[in-house]
Amino acid sequence: MRIKSSKEKRILVIKTSIRWFLYLFITLLCFLIMNSGTKLHPILLIPVAICMSTQSDELQAAFIGAFCGFLIDIACGKLFGYNAVILAIFCTAISLLYKYLLRQRFINTFLVIAAVSFLQGFLDFKFYYDIWGYSNVGIIFRKYTIPVCFMTLASSIVIYPLFKLINHLLMPKQHLSIEEAIKNYEE
Amino acid sequence: MRDFFKSFRFKIFIAFLAFLIGIMIYAVTKGGYAVSGASFINTVTQPFKKVSNNIAIKVETRLDKMSNADDYYNENQRLKKQISELNKQLTAYEDTKNQLEELRKFIGIKEKNKDFILSKPCNVTGYIANDPFMSFTIDKGSDDEIKPYCPVVTGDGLIGITIDVSAHSSTVRTLLSPDLSIAAVTSSSDNAGIIEGSIEQAVAGKTMLKLVPKENSLKNGDLLVTTSTSGLFPKGYSIGTVESISLDTTGLSYSAVIQPSAKIDRLSSVMVITDFNGKDNSYEN
Repeated sequence: MRIKSSKEKRILVIKTSIRWFLYLFITLLCFLIMNSGTKLHPILLIPVAICMSTQSDELQAAFIGAFCGFLIDIACGKLFGYNAVILAIFCTAISLLYKYLLRQRFINTFLVIAAVSFLQGFLDFKFYYDIWGYSNVGIIFRKYTIPVCFMTLASSIVIYPLFKLINHLLMPKQHLSIEEAIKNYEE
Repeated sequence: MRDFFKSFRFKIFIAFLAFLIGIMIYAVTKGGYAVSGASFINTVTQPFKKVSNNIAIKVETRLDKMSNADDYYNENQRLKKQISELNKQLTAYEDTKNQLEELRKFIGIKEKNKDFILSKPCNVTGYIANDPFMSFTIDKGSDDEIKPYCPVVTGDGLIGITIDVSAHSSTVRTLLSPDLSIAAVTSSSDNAGIIEGSIEQAVAGKTMLKLVPKENSLKNGDLLVTTSTSGLFPKGYSIGTVESISLDTTGLSYSAVIQPSAKIDRLSSVMVITDFNGKDNSYEN
């Protein structure tokens, strides 16, 4: 295993800062796109949150999920905190899944996004329309929930490579600091 | 993975979840006002939302023109007929009306209704994503004397009411929503009913008049206006016209499909009536 020099450490800090800045930029850009126009929109922040969570530890993933969830609540006019709770749980679970079970593959992420967007859409439909007993509520499911789920899924085809590229260029490799290397050696 | 559930990190995660649920419960108890976090994000992102929304509306309009050319042609023919009929009846009125610009319409509201206290013209900053009932946000809030449950109008007619008011923005629930009920009467006779959206009609940009008594003289083309019985809306403001009438599924009353007077899915600016004669202020508390 290679040991990092102080110059490499500085580069690592800069790269990590740029990476998180780009994450934030993409998140806010997706939020703005979701707020624009009058037609149906994919919930772009779901694939964004998931792509970030796959590369983060559990607590980071929870915060990412909560942040993206709050933005979804604002964009979709839902109770503030509703999607934050849902996405915080999903993102933590996804982070654990990627830590212990799944590999960083597009197909895995695609399936995870499909599951999350469908669950989020289903919960949204249940809590915001179905339980209130509106007549013809199936129209909402057919014309809004399902198309939005598919649009969200389709958007992952663009969003995943974007994050893949950012991570490829800016994600730190598995390096050890001198102190860590000595500590490991002593143990 | 089992280690995670026993770890300190898991406890932090549970505490964080409890915090989020706390925020959600706090948001419920705000009674129509947005929580400060949402309010802050709305304020910061408002200029960006305006720009991106303007771009999206322009793109959508162009795509719409291209993809629905036939529909627009047919609609154009139908509207031409309607306009020529209306011109015969209301030539003088129409001539004047066509010359008025958007702001002049708003001045007209005030001139017609001396008792109205109107907000400044509010720009529509964006429609709520994927909302079948076309709720939207405006760039004025409690700092501009706007409170929850104030009527929102254009020169053409009633749009809805304000909900979720923050300092510099408010969300508007439109009359397409089943969560908004408005007492209405026809302008020419006394046929009364309740305007309440339905999912089926909202998809087509229309709303419903429900609970019309069996003995009525309602007919297609009748103009519906607000009554002041609830204290939420001023009396006599245009809502829409009757498009079709049918017997309810219960068979006890009639219902009608209503075409709103204002085109709700293409709004750029609206006004909020913050006060009027007969307003029941108890809704705001």
